[in-house]
Amino acid sequence: MNRLRALPTFRIDPARRVAFRYRNRSLHGVAGDTVATALYANGVRIFGRSLKYHRPRGLYSLDGECSNTCMQVDGIPNVRTENTPLREGMQIKEQNVVGSAAFDLMAFMDKLDRLMPAGFYYRSLHKPARLWPVAMRQVRRAAGLGKISPDFRYGGRCDEVYLNAEVCVVGGGAAGMSAALSAAESGLRVILLEARPWLGGCFDYRPGPSQDGEPLYRRSRELLRSVSEHPGIRVFTHSPVVGHYTDNLVTAFQTGEPGDAFDYRYIEIRSRTVVVATGCIERPLLFEHNERPGVMQVGCAQRLARTYGLLPGERAVFSVGHDLGLEAAVDLSDLGLEIACVADLRQDGHDEHLVTQLAERGIEVLRGWVAARAHGARAVRAVTLATLDGTVQKRLDCDLLAASAGLTPVVGPLTLAGAQMDYDAHTGAFLPSELPPGLFTAGRLLGLHDAESIETSGRLAGLQAAAHCGAVDAAAVVELQAQAAALPGPQRGSKLVTAPVKGRKSFVCFDEDTTVKNVRQSIARGFDIPELIKRFSSAGTGPGQGGIPGHNLPLLTAHLQGKPPSSFVSTTIRAPLVPVPVAAYAGSRHDMCKRTPVHDSQKAAGGVFRRMGVWRRARYFSDDFSCREEVRNVRENVGLLDASTLGKFRLHGPDALKALQRIYIGDMSKMTAGKIKYAAMCNDDGCVIDDGVVVKRGENDYYFTTSTARAGATIEWFRYHTRYDGWEFHLVNLTDAFGVINLAGPNARKVLEKVADADVSNEAFPFAAYREFTAGGGAIAVRAMRLGFVGELSFELHVPSSLMQALWGLLEEAGKPFGIRNFGVEAQNVLRMEKGHIILGQESEQRTNLLDLGLGFLWARDKGECKTVGEAALRHAENDPGRLKLVGIRMQDPQRAPKDGALIVDRRIRGYVCTARHSFTLEQAVGLALVEEPLAGIGTRLDIYEDECRGELLKAEVVAVPFYDPDGKRMRM
Amino acid sequence: MALMITCPVCGPRNGYEFRYGGEDKGPRPAQRELSPGDWFQYVHANDCADGIQKEWWVHRDGCGVWFTTYRDTTVNREVPPPEEDA
Amino acid sequence: MFGRTKPLWDTGPELKSGYDAVIIGGGLHGLATAYFLASRYGMRDVAVIEKRHIGFGGAGRNTAIVRANQRTQENVPLYKEALDLWPVLTRELDFNLMFNNCGNLNLLHSEAAVNAARMNIATAQFLGVESHLIDARQAKEMMPALNISEDITYPIMGAMYHPPGGIVRHDAVVWGLAKGAAALGVHIHQHTEAAAIESRHGKVTAVATSRGKILTPRVLVSAGGYSAAVIHRMLGLRLPISVLTIQAMVTQPLKPLLDHVISSGAYHVYANQTLKGEIATGAHMDPWPNYTTQNTAYYVKHQAEALVEILPCLAGVRFMRTWAGLADMTPDMAPIMDGNHPLEGFYMDCGWGYFGFKSCSAVGKYMAQYMAEGRCPEILKPFALERYEQHRLMGETAALVSYSPDN
Ligand SMILES: Cc1cc2nc3c(=O)[nH]c(=O)nc-3n(C[C@H](O)[C@H](O)[C@H](O)COP(=O)(O)OP(=O)(O)OC[C@H]3O[C@@H](n4cnc5c(N)ncnc54)[C@H](O)[C@@H]3O)c2cc1C
Ligand SMILES: [Zn+2]
Repeated sequence: MNRLRALPTFRIDPARRVAFRYRNRSLHGVAGDTVATALYANGVRIFGRSLKYHRPRGLYSLDGECSNTCMQVDGIPNVRTENTPLREGMQIKEQNVVGSAAFDLMAFMDKLDRLMPAGFYYRSLHKPARLWPVAMRQVRRAAGLGKISPDFRYGGRCDEVYLNAEVCVVGGGAAGMSAALSAAESGLRVILLEARPWLGGCFDYRPGPSQDGEPLYRRSRELLRSVSEHPGIRVFTHSPVVGHYTDNLVTAFQTGEPGDAFDYRYIEIRSRTVVVATGCIERPLLFEHNERPGVMQVGCAQRLARTYGLLPGERAVFSVGHDLGLEAAVDLSDLGLEIACVADLRQDGHDEHLVTQLAERGIEVLRGWVAARAHGARAVRAVTLATLDGTVQKRLDCDLLAASAGLTPVVGPLTLAGAQMDYDAHTGAFLPSELPPGLFTAGRLLGLHDAESIETSGRLAGLQAAAHCGAVDAAAVVELQAQAAALPGPQRGSKLVTAPVKGRKSFVCFDEDTTVKNVRQSIARGFDIPELIKRFSSAGTGPGQGGIPGHNLPLLTAHLQGKPPSSFVSTTIRAPLVPVPVAAYAGSRHDMCKRTPVHDSQKAAGGVFRRMGVWRRARYFSDDFSCREEVRNVRENVGLLDASTLGKFRLHGPDALKALQRIYIGDMSKMTAGKIKYAAMCNDDGCVIDDGVVVKRGENDYYFTTSTARAGATIEWFRYHTRYDGWEFHLVNLTDAFGVINLAGPNARKVLEKVADADVSNEAFPFAAYREFTAGGGAIAVRAMRLGFVGELSFELHVPSSLMQALWGLLEEAGKPFGIRNFGVEAQNVLRMEKGHIILGQESEQRTNLLDLGLGFLWARDKGECKTVGEAALRHAENDPGRLKLVGIRMQDPQRAPKDGALIVDRRIRGYVCTARHSFTLEQAVGLALVEEPLAGIGTRLDIYEDECRGELLKAEVVAVPFYDPDGKRMRM
Repeated sequence: MALMITCPVCGPRNGYEFRYGGEDKGPRPAQRELSPGDWFQYVHANDCADGIQKEWWVHRDGCGVWFTTYRDTTVNREVPPPEEDA
Repeated sequence: MFGRTKPLWDTGPELKSGYDAVIIGGGLHGLATAYFLASRYGMRDVAVIEKRHIGFGGAGRNTAIVRANQRTQENVPLYKEALDLWPVLTRELDFNLMFNNCGNLNLLHSEAAVNAARMNIATAQFLGVESHLIDARQAKEMMPALNISEDITYPIMGAMYHPPGGIVRHDAVVWGLAKGAAALGVHIHQHTEAAAIESRHGKVTAVATSRGKILTPRVLVSAGGYSAAVIHRMLGLRLPISVLTIQAMVTQPLKPLLDHVISSGAYHVYANQTLKGEIATGAHMDPWPNYTTQNTAYYVKHQAEALVEILPCLAGVRFMRTWAGLADMTPDMAPIMDGNHPLEGFYMDCGWGYFGFKSCSAVGKYMAQYMAEGRCPEILKPFALERYEQHRLMGETAALVSYSPDN
């Protein structure tokens, strides 16, 4: 198809060809084309088939208001090709067709509409019940538009930006540009967002005169120049706003141009004020077959010619309700389109100058007439026009029907921001009656049509925003307001709801194939408000996201019930305002995770790492996940464990002790220097949330550890529970500042002796003691604790992170003769379990309190009223026999440990296994379980039910813990 | 909905920097004689006001301070303290 | 085939001055209770009062996932019965509830999660509910779109597969129950807001509404996310509830891609494909109480980040619509169902968080029994409010409560 000779309004470069593939054919478009305009230029008129009826669908709007031109592009389904830029090498496919879009084998569906009234699937397909699964499979196959391969991988680049501004202007038409300019002239930071790839809005392509007589397109290019020259304005084109949240948080998503460093970009803007100048889309005209290929919106027809150089048809009929329709007819006639006639549903109120121009071109204007039916099976061949009451009709041949009922303001950003919308009788639109603070509106959105009014309203909104930010004073606003008031105000809008038709196929929503008749059926079923009709008939729930039915549905709902148009408002508009690729929201992946100072050493030693909270930790050091060798080596020789992830804190200040007494369940006032205290924190339910050790390093100066999981929340927790007290204490999180090495096993001392600069004999450094010394010849300061979590002689060595690798290396070297080896978190898990030591979250859950765990000895009842967290709950629950208690269990079959999570059953569930392992050390299968108190006595026989056991129970017996070294001799060596 | 919270130290900031800490229920009661009923009221029970409530927040990813503020839960905006509390 | 088009239920019954029972809230639980009162207990003089339209609350906003693989033996039987009731209700109501029992895959990303899942699975199997542990390969075979590579934040180690679960059409449940209840004589009063509960000598006597007073000896508050505020305002009773918004969204419709519901605790995301072809996804909740039912920018982004890791092909799909509703969370993730306290004839059914859809059929049945007989059915006893005061949290979540709401 030949393009028009170059026009000053072109956004294409006819000289630069762009090759692409469509249905296995190689075609060409030109630079600046969208996928759909390129296809149109190649003669494609049917782009796809509709969801339910498989009706042929063509180009209708150019802004993605419906799914008509949704296609599969480069493997991505549901791409709105009408506003997707054509790129070299694109692969384009039709979707939802069997055969091709032009000849779809499913086209017979269009005859079955009587079988599919609104909500039919609720009332059918379930009888007989056994057929439902079959029917459901068919429904699933028929539904859904595009197809995506499970193996699809998006290869594009995604960017994210987070911006701040005083004024964010949404919409880069004449009003938006004027607003941006007036705000920026007040010295503010302005961001201007425009959905199309260029600024200009509806002035961009129109040759009609602006206030100074120049064509509108030239005027918009002048504004564009001022905007781009202003350093205070940051412009984002091809960036539709998709979300608008309280306090003017605006999100948009940008499509990259060739040469940009991104394909998609997520934009989030926190702005003090927002000016919405999003203009209008056209309100679809409801008549029979109003979506036949060849029926398109007026602006679509005009922009095809003016922007893309494509004459939209050969012989056209116009059915319009707004002066823009008359203006487009004049323009397209001048560009060579034959226009049979212009039907205008308005009886009066026309711009008579335009009527004269049409008359000069020999084009008849029928006032009070409207399109009632489009003829032609796969494309428009003719149209029946009718008077508004339907009494007089005439039929005209044509291949293009430019149709629109009027205008619909684009209010999405306003409603998302919480503006109150109401029916406006003058414009016939739903307009904001109340705006949230810092939100302003301008331009055609308000019903303005006059060019000067549009620009002035923009400047005014920009100034109002500036005044809101305190950058200009109110007098300037008042002055401009007076100027604006003197200009032409909003135009009266057309009120026609539907053309006088009898047929069954006037579409309210193209995406969902919802007809006027379906709306009537919904109302008859009792769904009498737009929100419910939308649900029952699906109108407005498709990829066009309400663009087509948004304005008509509430009007039609009122009309069909004989109610005034003000009875209802539009259905709720929801983000994203335009469909956004999941990839664009996901942005660039950045996995944040901490590594300990000896990560690499452990990796080199064969560590298998797992994410644990914010950390990566070595869980195993071989592919034997039972950790037999790791465990044995700790029991017989000596092992090294990286425990750096433990929470580590310094607490100091005059009220430090009070804070400890509030948070720890024990009595923290009786601590002595050089000795560690094992202590627990409970929550107000009496559940243990943390256990660790505390040492007193000086007067009002403490050092304590927490579990890995609690490290992040501990300071918050202390401060929360003391927030009313006004105490003076300081908490420093040293978790990342210190690494921790657990050196454990009968040979541990022999290793440490070679490295430490101090005496670490049992006399000098006994069990449960705390010492500070240096290692490596004075180079490394060490805080050492003698603990026994794994049940062997062990030293927990806290060292500055930067020196941890050095100490680790020294220990490995010194340990060689003693068989030193790494052990991981799972080996530790087995070792400590053999010892009967618990891990919170594994041996405890929400229902488990301190007493249930057998840790009652940590609770100091006599420490005075410290308002200790958890104390009251422990007291209340103390004598409740209905609680789960932690016990040790030994399996009857020493080879067969139950899986963690297996149940203790006795007709009903009476507990569960927390951790159980075959202990190579003990040559028994043992574990820890939470069981109801009556089953907790030593010697009780338990039945264990495992998943997939098919009723075969395992047998166990409650035994005393620890299983290993009950007297604790080994850790005291 | 978006959320801005005003930290007494850092000023108005993005709500995601903070953590919500519950309705304000007054100072922590003494634990020794606390009855199960009173314990429940203090620890778990809420007014769940659909309107303005006084509540606790901590500036978690900021200065770490705990503070109270008033917020209208129906619109999710901070509001000035009501007269009697000002 | 469809007969003459008439309303599914009487949308404008006359508001009488008295009813045998008044139900506050035309959501899932209110309508289900009304239906079972009328159909099983012969109590047909019942009014359901709804401040907006039926289904306005969580009923019309949820993502309709149903399953019965809960954690405790107090909960599993209730949800199992609810699952069994979908086909029964479809037949009784003669309304297609579109139960798609495609099964649920709950992804597990750590050894600890696998062990925790084992307990759920064993519990389910012990109680006669099908549920299995499967490994990552098997999960991938069932759902080819799944990414089981090591190269993601939380690599998938396995899944809990629960075949009897799936999705049901939420709107169909609302409308079907309304149709069924109204056909038996229940009055559904929309655009009627309950303002107060009146009592004498410790007994309920009336409910004051925006359209006048209704005399009644029994009232059920099943106002979803609004229940805690309503009950506090009307009776001064404070509940262990935090009301958060929970959001959801759908992509554009696609041809069949996901044959099961999938969810992941580590990623805070779930996804399923509706019969219309949209991928419905959600899970993240902003952790501060509010009643806005508005979405947040953070949520959409978070959800997308999670989805492209576990279902990377979705990167090429577009989000189309987000929405939000209320979730009334309790500390132990289990609801509060109680009666005759603090007033005789006062019943409540709330704290359903994001579980109130999957439970509604069975709960309606038992709450109806409770109200008709005045005695708490055995199966509901563990859900009484007093459990909190007695330090007997339910154990539906293993996670600890710190200060509420926990996140
Ligand atoms: C996004 C989202 C996803 C979810 N996904 C799932 C899911 O997958 N599976 C699942 O099981 N659950 C899910 N849920 C939870 C489920 O929707 C709720 O738990 C359920 O709707 C609760 O039912 P209800 O009848 O108690 O309350 P609702 O359905 O909320 O109904 C309560 C009704 O009470 C009305 N009301 C309130 N106050 C008054 C008054 N004063 N007078 C009269 N009427 C009043 C309200 O308008 C409302 O219609 C989800 C919820 C949301 C929001
Ligand atoms: Zn701060």
